[in-house]
Amino acid sequence: MTSDSVATGRTMDRSAPVGDTGAGQDARWRRLRKGDKKWTKKTTILFIVGVIIALIAIFPLVYMVLSSFKPEAEVYGESFLPKHWTFQNFIYVFTEVPFARYMLNSFLVSAIVTVVALFFHSMAAYALARLKFKGRETVFLIIFSTLLVSLPVVLIPEFVVVKTLGMLDSYWGLIVPSIFSAFGIFLLRQFYMGLPDELEEAALIDGAGYWRIYWSVVLPLSRPILAALAVFFFLANWNSFIWPLTITSNPDLRVVQVGISTFHQQYASSESYIIAASTVAAIPTLLLFFFFQKQITESIKTSGFK
Amino acid sequence: MERTFTRRTLITGAAATATMAGLGALSGCASGASGASAPLQFWQFYAPQSQSAPDLKAQNDWFQKAVGDWNKRHKQQVENVFIPNFTDPSNTRLATAFASGSGPDIFLISPGDFLRYYNGGALLDLAPYMTKEAIDDFNPNVLETRRVGKGIYGLPMEVEPLAMFYSVPAWEKAHLSEGDIPKTWDQMLDVAHKLTTQSQSGLVFETVPGYFQNFTWYPWMWQGHGDVVDSHQKPSFDSKAVTQALDLFGRSVATGVAPRTDPAAGDVPGAFANGYAAMWQSGIWQVAGFRGTQPKFDYGVFPLPTPPGGISKTVLGGWAWCVNARGRNPEAAAKFVVETVGSMSQESITRIYDWCTVAKSDMPPRASVDKMMVAKDAFKNPKLKYFHDVILPTGRGEPRYPPVVYKAISDAIQQVQAAGGNAAGQAQKGQAAIEAFMETYKGGALK
Amino acid sequence: MTGSTHTYNTPASRRAPRRTTPERSGAGKARAKREGWAAFWFLLPDSLGLLIFVFIPMIMAIVLGFFRLDGFGNLSFIGGANYVRMVQDPQFLQSAAVTAIYLVILVPAVFIVSLLLALLVQQRIPFVGAIRSALFAPYVISLVVVGLMWQFLLSDKVGVINQFLAAFGIHGISWLGDPKYTLGTVVVISIWFQMGYYMIIFLSGLQDIPGELYESARIDGATAWQRFWNITWPMLRPTALFVLITVTIAVITGGFDLIYILTGGGPAGSTSLLIFYIYQQAFLYGEYGYAAAIGSVLVLVLLIWSAFMFRITKGGRVDDE
Repeated sequence: MTSDSVATGRTMDRSAPVGDTGAGQDARWRRLRKGDKKWTKKTTILFIVGVIIALIAIFPLVYMVLSSFKPEAEVYGESFLPKHWTFQNFIYVFTEVPFARYMLNSFLVSAIVTVVALFFHSMAAYALARLKFKGRETVFLIIFSTLLVSLPVVLIPEFVVVKTLGMLDSYWGLIVPSIFSAFGIFLLRQFYMGLPDELEEAALIDGAGYWRIYWSVVLPLSRPILAALAVFFFLANWNSFIWPLTITSNPDLRVVQVGISTFHQQYASSESYIIAASTVAAIPTLLLFFFFQKQITESIKTSGFK
Repeated sequence: MERTFTRRTLITGAAATATMAGLGALSGCASGASGASAPLQFWQFYAPQSQSAPDLKAQNDWFQKAVGDWNKRHKQQVENVFIPNFTDPSNTRLATAFASGSGPDIFLISPGDFLRYYNGGALLDLAPYMTKEAIDDFNPNVLETRRVGKGIYGLPMEVEPLAMFYSVPAWEKAHLSEGDIPKTWDQMLDVAHKLTTQSQSGLVFETVPGYFQNFTWYPWMWQGHGDVVDSHQKPSFDSKAVTQALDLFGRSVATGVAPRTDPAAGDVPGAFANGYAAMWQSGIWQVAGFRGTQPKFDYGVFPLPTPPGGISKTVLGGWAWCVNARGRNPEAAAKFVVETVGSMSQESITRIYDWCTVAKSDMPPRASVDKMMVAKDAFKNPKLKYFHDVILPTGRGEPRYPPVVYKAISDAIQQVQAAGGNAAGQAQKGQAAIEAFMETYKGGALK
Repeated sequence: MTGSTHTYNTPASRRAPRRTTPERSGAGKARAKREGWAAFWFLLPDSLGLLIFVFIPMIMAIVLGFFRLDGFGNLSFIGGANYVRMVQDPQFLQSAAVTAIYLVILVPAVFIVSLLLALLVQQRIPFVGAIRSALFAPYVISLVVVGLMWQFLLSDKVGVINQFLAAFGIHGISWLGDPKYTLGTVVVISIWFQMGYYMIIFLSGLQDIPGELYESARIDGATAWQRFWNITWPMLRPTALFVLITVTIAVITGGFDLIYILTGGGPAGSTSLLIFYIYQQAFLYGEYGYAAAIGSVLVLVLLIWSAFMFRITKGGRVDDE
């Protein structure tokens, strides 16, 4: 049995020839998928189970969204649906504080961090997975160990480092430290380890440099896993709170999660504004997931995550 | 193949350059003034902020004016910096800044936090900048907890007493009248029992562990003539007064009249209006709270009931202005603080008056402000008058304890209230913990 | 499966064997050198960044565990005193116990639930895309909001959940206020929050298993359970390793926001996880040295656990199983 891990529908003509079992298998899946949405007994039961769990998963979210349409007096009310639907909370959120600006800041930071991180991590993971050099496993273990730190303990040392580099209260301080995390390296390394060796052989024989191999062979193959990581990274940065809170004072730099906390007052949080703001804040990430979902789940099946 | 490669590289290269250029442009947005002539930073949680709710706006304007008035007359400028989440006890911003030597020049602190800052050497003595008259003008009940020896390390801007709030509709529904307003603990629990229903809690004590819960519990201990440490700084936590106060919290939950979690996530007006609670121990800020969110709701206030043989006592909260002893220009900062809130000038007195009447509904920290408030009929609101005449005189300032002592007290309260622990046993345990700590403690006095 | 000569679970049978050690000829040496340099440049950006922004702070934090540092820069060396204090600190011991229980329950729970979900949404059932999205949706929300939402739902007496239970005659349960239930409640909320995330990771691992393996097994007459145990489970091992390690790390070092909003570490310390305790020590009490020491203990525990997991699976490389 030959490797099918690189069987994709993509143009793989550049790489060393691998068996076409993959392509065949792919077609078979596709045929099955199109024709097979039958309501058999098995699928119906699974469907019901799936729907029940999905409802449990989504219920609190729906509740939150519905609550954001309730006027303040109703927020703690017992009814599930608002008695009086109102947009007042959303209007307040966008007009009373520069919420759009907060979202823009979050978007800027999250997008830049995601793109740069994916780029750097895939490079590092490629080296750790496929290039042989002395001390490779040691380097990986050291990199891995950075995953083990907990935020409260490193917050102050990290703050001191950032302050020393003069990045306090700036976009740099928000973006640069957030790029570096071993999680993506770890995941991508596992992924790259599963790709067959022949991948590089042919290209190396042709005299291609490692950068060329990385760029035109490995990266295209990584698209599915990069899509998944893109969603995860964007999410993590979009929801980030402690770090932006700690290093920025300038209100122009405020990100969305910190912005939501400005609705907390000393003794009374305006819950309805917080809920409305949080609903708005959840939208971009939800959209991103919907958009990327297909890429993550459909095509990953063809990539070698071993 | 080759062409595709080059084209793609070009595009990516361009994108990368654009990103870098963008980042470069963004870095120009870095603020961060340094140097002695940069404005002193005043970290607080009121200004600048843009929300237009009347009280928020008034608070914002008050702080901006306070700073603006100083800036007009002095070379060393001061600027307000709004810190979100300031009042959250685990505020990382403040802690990180101080820990890394970039703490603010002027800031607000709550009474509970005082000793930690003082013992860390972060507070500047303001007494040398004040006149004797001004020092005497402050209500000793609220100033004492910011004094160490002859020094004054914080100037309170407000006084917030605690009392018991009750819902008149809930009261009437349970066929209770004004005559039923409890004066003793047993009466209170009794009435609470009558008010407890399927959805309504008869009596609410704070349940979330933290400085605030401790704050609400201290008066119940004082009422029985008890205290955490005695006048010689010796721990006196193992006492009848403490035990009965712990037991009060425990009993109320065990008998079902008090809830295990704050109804309506702590929103008293909301809880009353929706019938989730009938009585709630809270502070004067609820007057403004009701006015803001439930203006038509009929609620009442009465002093904290007392145990047998006890005295009427409540606790006084309120934030104070402090100067960072290791700031950039402590002398100017001290002058700013004193001139703004700690001087006998008419401007300063009027300023505090504005804070306590316009921006917030609070009790005055100074006698001169009190006089002005009475003269200007600031207490024509019957609730505020009640707080001023009946409740304020029984108040004692929120105590200041080092974190270990605070934790010992908090643990005792939590164990009895939430885990059904035995009050006497917890008092003993707390005593042991506090004694062990005080043995080697060498900081400011506990008050 | 008896009598079958197929081996379903050997990755070796799926991939060409790895290149054996390069010959130490001149060309080989030059190539190795080129490879080494390439690796250096590929690793440089991330290594530099990690070094400056993560590794150095981490070392600083570990060193800090041997000092006493208050919140105002007053630093003093105290050797191992923090560690001695730790073992005598009842609050630390309680937090450690709570964390251990939390860990032992949550890690397997998340693992199993997300694996089952991945198996479910891999099937060809109607609307599987919508179901999949719904399952992932909780992860998209920030933990602060998750805490708020659940606080609403779980409110004593009047919250939706308690009202639902009242219809069945169950009254008076305080999910977030009674030490008996609080940890369990937090566990359930944590599972709810994370299951979609790990489901996606498992899904990618599952999708990778070639269909022929299942086909052949079906032809051989293998039951669903046999197919799972002999094909899916072994081929999923690297993914499983990844998930196991990541979940453990996430459970031990994360979740602070959730606890803070939901319970404040209470009631009576019943939800005081070590991460929360560290937070309190550092930012509430200004005991940075002590907090750093506890943090170092956590790092050590995680290090030992990860090293153990890696050893079992031979470094995560399954090319020589």
